[in-house]
Amino acid sequence: MSLAWFARRLILTAYTIIVVSMLVFAITQILPADAAQSLLGENATPESLAALRSKLGLGDPTWLQYARWARHVFIGDFGISMRTSQPVGPEMLAALSRSLLLAVSSILVTLVVAVPLGVLAALRQGKLADTGVSLVAYFGVSLPEFVTATLLALLLADTLHWLPATGYVSPLEDFGSGILHLALPVLTVSVILIAHVMRMMRSEMLDVLKSDYIRAARLKGLPERTVLFRHALRNALLPVVTIIALDVGYLLGGVIVIEEIFAIPGIGRALMIAITTRDLPSIQAGALIMAATYALTNTLADLAYAVLDKRIRYD
Amino acid sequence: MLSVTRRLFLAGTAISLASLPKIVLAEAPKRGGVLRMSLDQAASVIHPMLARVNPEYLVTELLYSNLTRLKPDMTVEPDLAISWEPNATLTEWIFKLRPGVTFHDGSPLTSGDVVATINAILDPKTASPGRTNVGPIKEAAAIDPLTVKFTLSGAYADLPVALTYLNARIVPAKVVAGDLASLSTSANGTGPFKLTSYEPDRRIVVERNPAYYDPTRPYLDRIELLVYPDRTSEASAMISGEIDVLLTTTPGEYERLVKTAGVKALRTPSGQFLNINLGCDQKPFNDLRVRQALALAVDREATVGFVAGGYGTPGNDTPLNSAYHFYKGIPLKKPDIAKAKQLLADAGYPNGVDVTLIASDRPASRTQLGVAVREMAAAAGFRINVQTMPHATYLDQVWKKGNFYVGFYNMQPTADAIFNLLYTSNAAWNETHWNNTEFDTVIGAARVETDEAKRTALYAKAQEMMNAEVPSVIPAFFDLLAAQRSYVEGYALHPRGSVFRLELVSLGAGAPKRA
Amino acid sequence: MIELFIRLLRRPQGFIGVVLLLLVAAACLFGSALAPYAPEKIDFLGRFRAPGWQNWLGADQFGRDILSRLMVGARSTVPMALIATFIGSAAGAIIGVGSAYLGGRSDEAIMRTNDAMMAIPGLLLALLLVSTLGNGASNAVIAIAVAFAPGMARVTRSVALNVRNQDYVKAAIARGESASWIIFREMLPNVMAPIVIESTIRVSFAVMLFATLSFLGVGAQPPASEWGLMVADARQYMHQAPWGLIAPSGAIALTAIAFNLVGDGLRDALNPKDER
Repeated sequence: MSLAWFARRLILTAYTIIVVSMLVFAITQILPADAAQSLLGENATPESLAALRSKLGLGDPTWLQYARWARHVFIGDFGISMRTSQPVGPEMLAALSRSLLLAVSSILVTLVVAVPLGVLAALRQGKLADTGVSLVAYFGVSLPEFVTATLLALLLADTLHWLPATGYVSPLEDFGSGILHLALPVLTVSVILIAHVMRMMRSEMLDVLKSDYIRAARLKGLPERTVLFRHALRNALLPVVTIIALDVGYLLGGVIVIEEIFAIPGIGRALMIAITTRDLPSIQAGALIMAATYALTNTLADLAYAVLDKRIRYD
Repeated sequence: MLSVTRRLFLAGTAISLASLPKIVLAEAPKRGGVLRMSLDQAASVIHPMLARVNPEYLVTELLYSNLTRLKPDMTVEPDLAISWEPNATLTEWIFKLRPGVTFHDGSPLTSGDVVATINAILDPKTASPGRTNVGPIKEAAAIDPLTVKFTLSGAYADLPVALTYLNARIVPAKVVAGDLASLSTSANGTGPFKLTSYEPDRRIVVERNPAYYDPTRPYLDRIELLVYPDRTSEASAMISGEIDVLLTTTPGEYERLVKTAGVKALRTPSGQFLNINLGCDQKPFNDLRVRQALALAVDREATVGFVAGGYGTPGNDTPLNSAYHFYKGIPLKKPDIAKAKQLLADAGYPNGVDVTLIASDRPASRTQLGVAVREMAAAAGFRINVQTMPHATYLDQVWKKGNFYVGFYNMQPTADAIFNLLYTSNAAWNETHWNNTEFDTVIGAARVETDEAKRTALYAKAQEMMNAEVPSVIPAFFDLLAAQRSYVEGYALHPRGSVFRLELVSLGAGAPKRA
Repeated sequence: MIELFIRLLRRPQGFIGVVLLLLVAAACLFGSALAPYAPEKIDFLGRFRAPGWQNWLGADQFGRDILSRLMVGARSTVPMALIATFIGSAAGAIIGVGSAYLGGRSDEAIMRTNDAMMAIPGLLLALLLVSTLGNGASNAVIAIAVAFAPGMARVTRSVALNVRNQDYVKAAIARGESASWIIFREMLPNVMAPIVIESTIRVSFAVMLFATLSFLGVGAQPPASEWGLMVADARQYMHQAPWGLIAPSGAIALTAIAFNLVGDGLRDALNPKDER
């Protein structure tokens, strides 16, 4: 890993963000029915529509709107929401922080559960534990989030009353209540992630166990436990880092549905509201922030991979 | 039928019981406490002149006051105005203001504020929905600091009711003259509560206004409004005790709430309805027989079941039901498929007719009505293709333009308001283009009639005409459904659906302590 | 080919997957003929009827038979997912192979732009596209296809790069064959196997994504009996009539599992050395 490599990664990330910004801006320009219509609803008159449109700057040519928008975004100004008249940037970043809390908690839960289960399945290949793990994994990846979310809420909140069904309490304001409210959404996200990571972990572990490297370690007469945990597990964990970074993309998309169902004021829900009300600055900011988060996460994962890879292969 | 009548009776009793505490409550309501209330959608707009949906009306009602206020029986009571008087021809109205009222910033309320507010609402540049709803005001003038004179463009008996309109909240003249748009992010009203924090999609907090003009009210120290986008989750939060009052819910959730201990499910009949608008100036619905055929194909009692889960009343193709003051009971239309087929054949469609019914996706009951009517009307020979679309697209492309689509309307405070909103030739939203001059004459006469009996007769005639000529099929009215925790006192559902009166609410025994 | 299929069937996973898939295919082909009721027939007295002899899987809020709706709905759910995956895979494959063939700077530019597209989460991209094109099943199909294409392009390109360096491709280039001939006749056929496997697994994602779009109200529209839409409708009444929720959820899950199992099975069957 050299400085040049790092610079290249940064440039690529910037390129990604620029392409995404253009794409998103283009899409928002051709959305049918505009924010003025959505805001005024059934009380719109031709005059009030025209008045509001000019106030919102909806009349200018597209390239001009893009240039103006891009210049402002560059200095961190995402504009004013057409719906609520509040600045979009701070709203979206606050929403993103709530979504990231959900995402990071889910990843932690996933790692704690999925890695041991994946290893177990690999070690007991073909046995009952392996089949069980695979079966659960198949169900996990085959249920859409809205189904998992609904079924879990029906069971854990409405029937057993173990967890609050919905709502968001900031853990900074009330830690206990915040964690409880986060439990169901985290569980929902984790079910899917666990299934995914578990399958990955199992197959990586199987690969590593068959490698010459492990065979060599065994031939050296190292104790089995050392072979498994010091060598096999650490190598198998590596690709999982990449998988999790890729899953952040899924996570950010998946939160749209999960936040909608569990009433979490995160970036997914903010985007959903923005899309239905044609609030263009919010759509643009939300989509761009989401994509940038994903691109940055992947860059970081690559970085982590490069660092870890060196350490592991040559220690 | 029996069950429907019984339900109406019970609901009627519920209203009178609910309004009782205000009059006969011996024990004074307890002061203090924090109330948590759920909203089913974000209150995106807190600008009182631009608010459009119930959660927004709730917020502006907490922060501001109107001149007059709508009571649950749809008559008015004083709010910022303490008395009013028309001239003999009903073209000029004098309103006396309550003395000693102050805005949240401490400045006193004067007639100048009222005049500035009304002028701002009437200004097309403000784009306020109230512009067409506050009555035919030509000019507002300040006579003295506490007296306002409204000069109207024509005789109008319902001006005090019109001024209860949800956008006619009084704001300071200096805000109107300065930065009117600032009301989108901050508030300065005369209402019982002051704005503490505003996160549109998440939480809105208001606190007690100690300078409210009624020294005994409000009782609560603070109200937190929490947004729940999912109705099922919202009801679950009510059941688990996270919220004290639930703004509005669906029939399915209502049934769950009724069964929950510690929760009082609330219900009141309302004039809120779904209809199917028929373009009376275009084929095929320009033919009266086609409209009547469709009306006869729709089973109204079943529709109440399908779209309102049974929590509603059947409609008879007039926009008034028992919740309105001038409602006339006309025997309910029964489905008659044979007659409907005959009418369709007479109109020149012996082999049936193909039509596309458009339903927007909000609220979901629009689509449900579409699906139900499609199946019911199929037997009579209507081959209906139901097309759904996002609400914003619908407003842009179909509403007031299409000739066959599902409409959804809230209850209006007066019969005049609903007829002039939708069905007269010069209605604000003349969707059906029925343009019946005889009907216009009847509504116009009722508008300036002060004799109650004559007015009743005129509105009865109007309802009979709509029932016979079917400019739109109005198959079902909705009951308003909501819920509260048992310890919440003084809360009652208002049939209008957009009046809340949280300054009358207090927390009784058993309420949780909240910081 | 037949040998591959036999190898697939020998594994329990593959066998179960194929059986499930046949079941789904049967529902798509004969569902409307076999359904006991018309899927849109409303029945006032039968609203929320619990599963029983009249309605085996119960009835919904309109008294419509859920089993009939599921059987007929298969046709408005599964083929849509297949079409979306097919279009997305085909577009992705062409981009991927084309990029690999061009190589150098062009390859770099195409792939970087492709990666940028992948930075927008699939569901978000699909949502934005459907909002632009208008709600509805066919637009949802297009949106899913567009959302899938970049991922497929990435997978295809990595395989195609190997093929690009094979002697027969080099020979074709040396012969002066046209680019389209090389891409479509020489390279594409040789990257087919991994594309087919990847696509099979993706069908399960397409089924879920399509259902999710319908759930959010922008995919299939009422009164269609698309499964995701059925779940969305039933959610409102899940405490009164949970069967309305569970039956279509199960159908979606089983279909997704079937495609997952068959896709995994195919992969294993193609790489027999990889006994897992």
